[in-house]
Amino acid sequence: MTHSVRILLKSPKFLIGAIATLLMLALVVIYPLVNKSDPFEMKALAFQPPGSGLPLGSDNFGRDLFLELVYGIRTSVAVGLIAGLCATAIGLIIGLASGYVGGWIDNVLTAVTNMFIVIPSFIILILVSVSVNSRSSLVVALIIGLTSWPWTARAVRAQTVSLRNRDHVNLAKISGHSTPRIIAFEILPYIASYVVMAFILQVASGILAEASISMLGLGPYNTISLGIMMNWALVFEAPVSGAWWAFIPAAFAIAVITFSLYMMNTGMDEIFNPKIRS
Amino acid sequence: MKMKAATAVLVGLLMTFSLLAACSNSQESLSQTNAQTDNPSTGSGTANPSGIGAAAGDTGQGALADNAKETPRNETLYINGLQWGAPTNFNLLSGNPAFPINYGNSRELIYETLFMINMIDGKLEPLLGSSYTWTDDKTLKIELNKYAKWSDGQPFTSDDVVYTYKLGQKYEINWTSYWDYIQDVVADGPHAVTITLKPDNPNKLTVTESIELIPMLPKHIWEEIEKKAGNDLAAIRKEFNADPVGTGPYKIYFYNDQKITLIRDDNYWGQSLFGKLPAPKYITHVIYKDNAAGDLAFKNGQVDVSQQFTPQVWKMWESGAPVKTYLKDAPYYLPGSMPSIFFNLSKKGLDNADVRKAIAMAIDYKKISQLAMSGYSADMKPSLTLDTPAESKFVDQDAIRPLQWTTDVKAANELLDSIGAKKGKDGIRVLNGQRLGPYDIECPYGWSDWNAALEIVAQSAKAIGIEIRTKFPEAPVWNNDLQTGKFDIIMNTPAGSVTPANPWSRARTIMYSKGVAPIGEMAFWNWGRYKNDRADEIIDQIPTATDEEAKALYTELTKIWLQDVPSIPLMYRPWVFYTVNESVWKGFPVDGDGSNIPPQIAMDGAGIKALYKITN
Repeated sequence: MTHSVRILLKSPKFLIGAIATLLMLALVVIYPLVNKSDPFEMKALAFQPPGSGLPLGSDNFGRDLFLELVYGIRTSVAVGLIAGLCATAIGLIIGLASGYVGGWIDNVLTAVTNMFIVIPSFIILILVSVSVNSRSSLVVALIIGLTSWPWTARAVRAQTVSLRNRDHVNLAKISGHSTPRIIAFEILPYIASYVVMAFILQVASGILAEASISMLGLGPYNTISLGIMMNWALVFEAPVSGAWWAFIPAAFAIAVITFSLYMMNTGMDEIFNPKIRS
Repeated sequence: MKMKAATAVLVGLLMTFSLLAACSNSQESLSQTNAQTDNPSTGSGTANPSGIGAAAGDTGQGALADNAKETPRNETLYINGLQWGAPTNFNLLSGNPAFPINYGNSRELIYETLFMINMIDGKLEPLLGSSYTWTDDKTLKIELNKYAKWSDGQPFTSDDVVYTYKLGQKYEINWTSYWDYIQDVVADGPHAVTITLKPDNPNKLTVTESIELIPMLPKHIWEEIEKKAGNDLAAIRKEFNADPVGTGPYKIYFYNDQKITLIRDDNYWGQSLFGKLPAPKYITHVIYKDNAAGDLAFKNGQVDVSQQFTPQVWKMWESGAPVKTYLKDAPYYLPGSMPSIFFNLSKKGLDNADVRKAIAMAIDYKKISQLAMSGYSADMKPSLTLDTPAESKFVDQDAIRPLQWTTDVKAANELLDSIGAKKGKDGIRVLNGQRLGPYDIECPYGWSDWNAALEIVAQSAKAIGIEIRTKFPEAPVWNNDLQTGKFDIIMNTPAGSVTPANPWSRARTIMYSKGVAPIGEMAFWNWGRYKNDRADEIIDQIPTATDEEAKALYTELTKIWLQDVPSIPLMYRPWVFYTVNESVWKGFPVDGDGSNIPPQIAMDGAGIKALYKITN
């Protein structure tokens, strides 16, 4: 374990990603403690350019965009984490069950997984979002999580199937260990690195999915997220007014978060995948 | 795995660039704007991104250039904002005909009305009808213009008027409701018509409205259509009516899903009335995907008259574009309606008039005007009437002034304190065991000025310890919630057009309880189910009252409204937006030019006189 961490820290890709993510999180945690204003407070005129007092200008409601951005990143990351957790957990459970248990359970679960892969998840996301009456950020996160697990499930299943007949698993079986115990102690450690990487990817795509769905106007109500900020900018025609500050920072923040998460993921991939490790 | 990662990063960058690109003013940026709302859909990774993106690209400007029927730019007047989807049909009776047949706007282009409403002074100007007189309280006599002709050469006569009115009696169509007040319409020779009112419900106001709103249909054409359809409205509605015969100065020339073009009828009868033909040989309504696309095209001079909400319109002329609004300075547009919020009076907490009044006093109307309407709304003076010379004369302003609220958060808090609504731990007040909130406040998604107004209301309410949450569903959901009463607070415009029937019609929409279905069933006015017997009585009396009596009644009604607060007007909104770009056509009417031509999109009611004034 410490060995892995040491190798990880030597990977510049992972370091860049991790540092960028941590910096961003630090900003999101610390800034609201310094500036205690309500991010919903409409204090300026619409679309004021960046200047003194308003580091990133104001949006169409005259809100402080920098403060909004901080809260927006917070919501987006929270939504991404919840969606990622949810998706990874479902994917892991389904993948392990179908991969290890096999038989008709495998057939059924694989069929379900394939169905979810074939139906474009974004369409499901839109349809569910339209029909759900109360959209809080938690509901949106769960919807995203419930629609984005299939790839994880499939990959976990594939790995589990290849692990199932290894000697140490057979030994455990002969020793009379229970199935959950075998999965937890003989299978899971071998795919843990993959699961962590998948989780990071799920978080990143969760953030992107939230941004996309919010930008279409189907995001959570009564909160601020990066997608919602971009949606307001679109609805109020910020590009026509030349108010680039209303959407570029939000788009940039999305790009930086997902980019740093992907960098972490790639860095880890290079470490844990001996074929790529140089 | 890596591929997926790379795609997603790419998509993130693409989103940034597509938004950036929308900043530039080039022709290409239009299709970029169109595509950008679809772009983020590629972010979900597992979805097929290219399919969605490509479809969006097709709706851009590129396809427009391939159209066969291009018209010379300097002979064509381009407009936007009246038609948002592909044209459905040109059949007035169908329920949702396309521009320029749509009921109640752009109404003098093909099918003309008897009289033209002028929103500046509220007067009716002659068109197909040359004069009208009330010979007594129940009889309206209309003289018709002898020279009026249909575009197929047939003369326009009193038979056509009688026929058109009676279509409303025969079928359930737009002007059926006037027959609640009309007893009969009879021809009085070929060039005169007499309308008699029902003795038990002689509403002069709405009947006067009908002569500027009902578009005249040719009897000789529609009788045939009726016959073919076997007098069945459902079958009549299926008639496409691709080449409508009207009395107006234009005819349909070309249409597809991107534009509708009209061509001038050079034999137009109205030359005798207006002295000449309208200046543009063609009028083209371009169908844009959304507001932003239409605004960009307008700014670039591809559209001459815009009936769209354009945020911060002054930026256009500040950046040098030859753009004008009717008024040179704020509020730029003439007020025509009052989008308001309605309270569901059966909800605990909101059933208390003091709570509603406190909300009214907490709302920052200035901020709504500034942020939601780009300053297009003048100072709010709450009343049942608009703050215009044409309407404010109906109410004794001095008598209602002590009751009118203004933004005063301190007084609102004191009012709530005085009725014993104490703040709980979370800062939200509790009144008689009922927490004041969360209340949902609702309007359709994408109606940007309304969305912003409601955000501001929610913010304002927070300051007095009432929790209001915004909710922006799709328009059909909102409409259903509105009518069936499934809301806490909801936004809508009561009686939004300028007609001789206002402010009566607005007061009725807000306060009249007779004929309103209970919550759960459809109601078409008084959505909050307000009930006050005295108010009902007054609303019944006004239409038959003399001017003097009416003023006293309106004043009393306004006082009741100010005390009970069943609705709160949030802003004054123009009836129609009228922003013109003079890079091709010049001389559009503006305030103070002495022409008395109203800013009615240059083609609705008396606004059509603008077409005779403009030059290349």
